[in-house]
Amino acid sequence: MMITRKHLPRRTFLRGAGATLALPLLEGMIPAFTPIVKTAAKGIPRLGYIYSPNGMMMQNWTPTGEGATYEFSSTLSPLAPYRDRLTVLTGLNSEEANARPGEGVGDHSRGPGAFLTGVHIKKTEGKDLQAGVSADQLAARHLGGQTQLSSMQLALQSGDFAGACDFGYSCAYSDTVSWSDPYTPLPMENNPRAVFRRMFGVSDSTDPRVRAAQFDEDRSILDSVTQDVSALQKTLGARDRVKLTQYLEAVRDIELRIKVAEAQSSRGLPDVHQPPGIPATFEEHIGLMYDLLTLAFQIDLTRVFTFMIARELSLFVYPLSGVREAHHSLTHYQNDPVKIAKVSMINQYHMKMFATFLERLKNTPDGESNLLDNVMIVYGCGISDGDRHYHNNLPILLTGGGAGQIKGGRHLLYPDDKTPVANLHMTLLQKMSVPAEQLGDSTGTLQELSGI
Amino acid sequence: MKPTMLGVRRACFVAACIALGGAACWRLQAADSLVAPAPGSRAAVPASTAPAAMQTVSPASSAGADYRAVLDTYCVKCHNARLKTAGLELDQLDITHVGPHADKWEKVVQKLRARTMPPALNARPDESTYDRLAAWLEGALDTAAAASPNPGSPTLHRLNRVEYTNAIRDVLALDIDGSSLLPPDATANGFDNNGDVLSISPLLMEQYMMAAREISRLALGDPTYTPYVDTYRFSRDTWQVDRMSEDLPFGSRGGMAIHRYFSLDGEYGLKIRLARALNDRGIRGISRPERIQVRLDQELVKEFTVGRSFENEGKYDLYKPQGEAAVERRHLEESADDALTVTFPVKAGNHTVGVFFVENTLALYEGLGPPRFPVRSQANTNDDANQMQMESIQIGPVASGGTGNTDSRRQILACRPANAALEEPCAKTILSGLARRAYRRTPTDSEVATLMSFYRRAREAGDFEAGIASGLRRVLVSPQFIFRVEGDPVNVKPGVPYPLSNSELASRLSFFLWSSVPDPELLDAAERGRLRDPKGLEQQVRRMLRDGRSSELMRNFGGQWLLLRNVRYATPDPDRFPEFDDNLREALQRETELFLENVLRDDRPVTELLSANYTFMNERLARHYGIPNVYGTQYRRVTLRDDRRAGLLGMGAIQLVTSQATRTSPVLRGKWVLENILGTPPPAPPANVPPFPDGGDMTKLSVRERMEMHRKNPACASCHQMMDPLGFALENFDAVGKWRDLEEGKPIDASGQTPDGHAFNGPAELRQLVVARQEQFVAALTSKLMTYALGRGLEYYDAPAVRKIVRDAAPSQYRWSAIVLGIVRSLPFQQRMSSEATQQLAGGRLD
Repeated sequence: MMITRKHLPRRTFLRGAGATLALPLLEGMIPAFTPIVKTAAKGIPRLGYIYSPNGMMMQNWTPTGEGATYEFSSTLSPLAPYRDRLTVLTGLNSEEANARPGEGVGDHSRGPGAFLTGVHIKKTEGKDLQAGVSADQLAARHLGGQTQLSSMQLALQSGDFAGACDFGYSCAYSDTVSWSDPYTPLPMENNPRAVFRRMFGVSDSTDPRVRAAQFDEDRSILDSVTQDVSALQKTLGARDRVKLTQYLEAVRDIELRIKVAEAQSSRGLPDVHQPPGIPATFEEHIGLMYDLLTLAFQIDLTRVFTFMIARELSLFVYPLSGVREAHHSLTHYQNDPVKIAKVSMINQYHMKMFATFLERLKNTPDGESNLLDNVMIVYGCGISDGDRHYHNNLPILLTGGGAGQIKGGRHLLYPDDKTPVANLHMTLLQKMSVPAEQLGDSTGTLQELSGI
Repeated sequence: MKPTMLGVRRACFVAACIALGGAACWRLQAADSLVAPAPGSRAAVPASTAPAAMQTVSPASSAGADYRAVLDTYCVKCHNARLKTAGLELDQLDITHVGPHADKWEKVVQKLRARTMPPALNARPDESTYDRLAAWLEGALDTAAAASPNPGSPTLHRLNRVEYTNAIRDVLALDIDGSSLLPPDATANGFDNNGDVLSISPLLMEQYMMAAREISRLALGDPTYTPYVDTYRFSRDTWQVDRMSEDLPFGSRGGMAIHRYFSLDGEYGLKIRLARALNDRGIRGISRPERIQVRLDQELVKEFTVGRSFENEGKYDLYKPQGEAAVERRHLEESADDALTVTFPVKAGNHTVGVFFVENTLALYEGLGPPRFPVRSQANTNDDANQMQMESIQIGPVASGGTGNTDSRRQILACRPANAALEEPCAKTILSGLARRAYRRTPTDSEVATLMSFYRRAREAGDFEAGIASGLRRVLVSPQFIFRVEGDPVNVKPGVPYPLSNSELASRLSFFLWSSVPDPELLDAAERGRLRDPKGLEQQVRRMLRDGRSSELMRNFGGQWLLLRNVRYATPDPDRFPEFDDNLREALQRETELFLENVLRDDRPVTELLSANYTFMNERLARHYGIPNVYGTQYRRVTLRDDRRAGLLGMGAIQLVTSQATRTSPVLRGKWVLENILGTPPPAPPANVPPFPDGGDMTKLSVRERMEMHRKNPACASCHQMMDPLGFALENFDAVGKWRDLEEGKPIDASGQTPDGHAFNGPAELRQLVVARQEQFVAALTSKLMTYALGRGLEYYDAPAVRKIVRDAAPSQYRWSAIVLGIVRSLPFQQRMSSEATQQLAGGRLD
């Protein structure tokens, strides 16, 4: 299957004076093209984390029964068609998200801060953010040299929101789940146009000579700015020098990426056009992001992503779920059955959206099978009960076959209340062939996940 | 949080909360002095001390002994070495030597000025003693600070998205959409220009690189680069019934005025899509003919006619065989807008494209009144009463001509080489000029040489302009552009303040007042040393405030300080507030924006923010507020005739962002007043706060009655009795800012009482109370503005500077220019201090 014009749909072209106006990716047509990944006996595993804020209504989320014979709950029912590529995990904890003595409120910051890092974040509003490196970034570091992008971080809500975060905690904590090191939270991009740009660069030329010339210039620029930084650092105080060191590391990251891109430059790129911006509705927006993630995996642009479907404390309203009120306010339900029902409707609606992503992955060829067989995508929350802000018994879904490494179709229950969710991350890192000794409060791996 | 037993820990916290929260924070002034002494002013020294030399505090001073006695009487009971309440051991601190523990003494002053200590039920000094003790301590602290000044040091500040966008606009005369090129910025202390959290990640660095490429193409116009199709969508919550913009002609209805930058000459295409009904996907209002015009810079490009009457022809039924007429109607309903496309030539540069319906009748709609149903409900069906609306407009290139003569090209290409020999000198002129504006100082020879090397490589592979574009890309990614570098001079000692360099000062000024780079006039003045001269500095500041770019100050400072940026994220429940549409949302935001700009531009006293009896509105907003005789969509200044709304407390935007989706929130409103108007933010909520019961039977109670829950529990009451009453005073403004006298059929009770007994009823009386403490407001505002100006949170050692600014601004009634000048002249703005020795290998900083 080669990239050809004839795969672009009729609607893409506008007739007007004999010329064409290209409509954006939003109209939903991704052309088929050659999977870049060389086919291997087993596929290549990919890792993804989808994070949902404000907890889940556990009573309607938790499936009944255990093991291979469990029954879907009402919230999870939209995922029934993917049973054999789905593992439900309950009983995992994120202890480090609990408050230490004197810390007070802050679960919407500690929750995401600990979810992928397994560490207790530092309570601060500004200067000295501190968490730990997150699991996805450990993978990105190790795998980064093999793909053009070491990882992608997406979100649906912008961080640009004045004032409304946990008291005493910087908004940076509730806006992200990815940390490239203990001091650097990664921004989650919510504009599909910007994501697209990051994937393909500004040039809409797929001409290899043009791209080669651009890479050439980029490398010289990066080399040259590195020298500028060395000169500048001599004039700065220690604290400011740390900032510039961040800059240098960012520069190095891109230099590496260019190397990889150049190595892959013999392959053509799909002829797609970039989305115009942020869509008007939640459904369109999340659909577009799921499409871009599928595309990124399909052409092996990256093998690691994190995606926050909203920031913690999100007051998003989801009218198409049938519920009028804002999400976070409802999740403080205090045993009111009306609120319980409404939160469950929202949860189920999100599962419906997630199912469209799984369907996309299933229908996308990858190597000898399809993407759903090869991915390992976790869909979870750093908070279980949204009312009491519990951080134990987290609602976690693991989807995908992990290139033959994950046995699905089961509900795994961890009853001892002692298993950290970081153990799940360690297990997945192992399956991605990423060497890691420890992640935050991890104590080992989850052996049950394999078992083929 | 794990479910734990609430035990000793909570009880201790409760006690601390009561102690910290304490009484609410102001009183009316004593009748015999109408104006309280401003914080920081030198109040009358107790009669027992000689009136001379208030600057020195000698151990033998009997004033010191008097005030020591006050502390011993009222404070040391709890704040002593044994109990260590709040970590403050006042019995161990020497009141005559405040310098060594200035941080603790500043906290004491804060509590005294706000009257939050001693707690309400304890013995408290009288008003006069409060003021005298606070003033005396302030004097002592100011003296100590003068002896060992500490200007602090902001962390290396990376340009945030707004600053980057504005810098591109000023350096290259190019308007870009920053939010599509760069990610949003982190915030700290309430502002997104805080150096500590503006970090740089590989993602951001990549985006800088890609933005540099895009910008260089747009600015110079690259014929090989196809610009994107832009889609402009209409919000579904906007009524398209009136003239929508000053850039559209009278007699237009709905539509949009699009300001777009065309980077190349060429043929451009425009396509209009009309709004469909949700039930059958047919174009709404198709059964009435409408005229649509497309205008380029007011000149008519094309007029379309779309839709027609379908009298006596039945509606199309999807499930029955139909006659030809019905089929034709259905076809029109599905695809009438296929014809709404036009191609026209455009010269490169900025243009306004207007697309709108021509108003069918000029007769006023008498007697119909405002719509009583939500705008979105119009979208549900497609009956004949529906009015045609637009859904989106796309503009994109069809065939590109050459690079035209845009503003950006004129700005960048300061010279155009007539022959090959002139190319290098010209390139050098252009690139040094760009570097000077972008780096905010004259570039060094080595910096220029670097840019020239990029020019040469690209020139060789391409042409002159390709070379310039490459040099420009290098500039836009440089650390000297992206960071506001403030370097330490050679061999600076840690702990010794030093003045900023001329160019560093110029940068601080322009980023403070314009959120952008200095303009050539400011750079020149800086380089000639004019900013060192007090008159020269004042001249520049006043010029900058008069300049149109100062509207950025109000937009960025005001937008974040007053949470105005959240107006566009508010989601009032459409069932309860069916009249809330995006026309209103925009009007609410514009009102406050225009008001803030006006107060700055007319150099009004800052206190007018609270007391102004005028505001800015259009017809939609006037209808919402119940103000008669305001017609049309344009904004104009209106004098308010009753005192229900005045100043910020009466503005719908503020009321909207301090509410929930379905009801008001007195807690959020009270907190907003405490934080932003009085400068006394409430303490953090304690751990294990039980959730607020808000469903079921609660909905029958008024919001105020529901808040009674806070009073019943003493652990809650201690803080909530500070916040809730302030919010109750504003209960007449509902969750979308409309005045109401009833809630669920019962009259609103907007009365409250501060814990120390001052009663108020309604917003007007609350406002009077707040205005009477104007110095407190001015100090709160100054602190916030200073946080914004410095790009760092304020620390205890900044308090003397804030006091001085407020003091110095008093003679001019606290006009904006006085506050701004005060900040610009202050120690933290003019100087820096290094906290550890800087390694100097060569050269020191670049000036």
